[in-house]
Amino acid sequence: MAERISKENDGIQTGPGVAVTALNPGRCRSWPFFQDFCITCGICASACPVSGVEGFDPRMLVRMISLGMEEDAVSASWPWICTMCGKCAALCPMDIDIPGLVRRVRSLRERDAVPGILHKGLAAALETGNNLRLPKEDYVFILEDVAEEIAEEPGFEGFTVPIDKKGARILTTIHNKLVNTHTEDLKHWWKIFHAAGEDWTVPSENWEGTNWGYFTGDDDAMKTLTGRIAAHMEALQVHTLLWPE
Amino acid sequence: MDYIRNKRIRLDKSRFKDRRATYHDPCNYGRQARRRFGHGFFEEPRWILSQCMDHWRDLYPNRMNQICCGGGGGALSTGYNEQRIFYARRKFDQIRACGADMLVVPCHSCHGQLNAVKGEYGMADLEVKYLWELVADCLVVE
Repeated sequence: MAERISKENDGIQTGPGVAVTALNPGRCRSWPFFQDFCITCGICASACPVSGVEGFDPRMLVRMISLGMEEDAVSASWPWICTMCGKCAALCPMDIDIPGLVRRVRSLRERDAVPGILHKGLAAALETGNNLRLPKEDYVFILEDVAEEIAEEPGFEGFTVPIDKKGARILTTIHNKLVNTHTEDLKHWWKIFHAAGEDWTVPSENWEGTNWGYFTGDDDAMKTLTGRIAAHMEALQVHTLLWPE
Repeated sequence: MDYIRNKRIRLDKSRFKDRRATYHDPCNYGRQARRRFGHGFFEEPRWILSQCMDHWRDLYPNRMNQICCGGGGGALSTGYNEQRIFYARRKFDQIRACGADMLVVPCHSCHGQLNAVKGEYGMADLEVKYLWELVADCLVVE
């Protein structure tokens, strides 16, 4: 940890007062985001919608990584209030991949210290196939219940939800909020499929469409969850995927 | 797009003809997709929107310069809620300047964020609609 010669500012555990001798430029040189090319112009900070919130400054974060202040970056709130929207990188004259750098910093957080429910939801998805730990029978009940509601609407008579249909043309995933608080929003795509005469299906297990490893920087979890969807496609012999999440 | 182009579905353009709709580019479909995969999905959703209604107005700035809603990157689930609401101030300035009463988005995170914070910016009446919801609402079914 860098030795401090003055108080930190704005809630972040670093600040203008770090001894030069405590810095370690090159420590993160293997990171593939071009952070060492920063010319400190500040365009990123001007473009960023959360510059100044909790003292956040994307330029400062890039410089911290370039100077080897890894622990300070990892313990800061900054990487988590950034949404990785990429406006900074789109405007950066040195083409530094700031969202990629932010995601790497997120990945270095202790998993138990990942803020909010992000890692808990991801752990649930890895264990149970969905972020909610929703049992299969409850999930199927919800899908069939919503399908019955659609079938009551004019023009959609006889509508049913095809679960695990082998040889369908399209497989689609489900966002967990659509079988939780927003079941009405299941209907839009299903109605379009019906009107188009589409041959489609949804999986009965491992149906989670969100992949929170993207947010927490967990590449292994991302591969596992994506691999499950690919496995569905192979098992059901479906060649097209609709992944709206 | 395939369904519309090949006439597998028909859409009623008059359904929302009296509404003032606009479109929001999600960062991961636009700017970030262009960076990661070489193609930003900017024009495709706009084409679909134009099949659902004759008149709608784009936000300014848009496409590569679109302003983030503030709900991406897992922000809805980190617990940094005050920061997330503050983040959206520029988004709502932009929507207000456009004069829209309906905002069409093709992203679950954007949809969740915009709906959750619109009341904070005095725009509780703004209708936030998924792009596929708009299509479903415009379907002509026999």
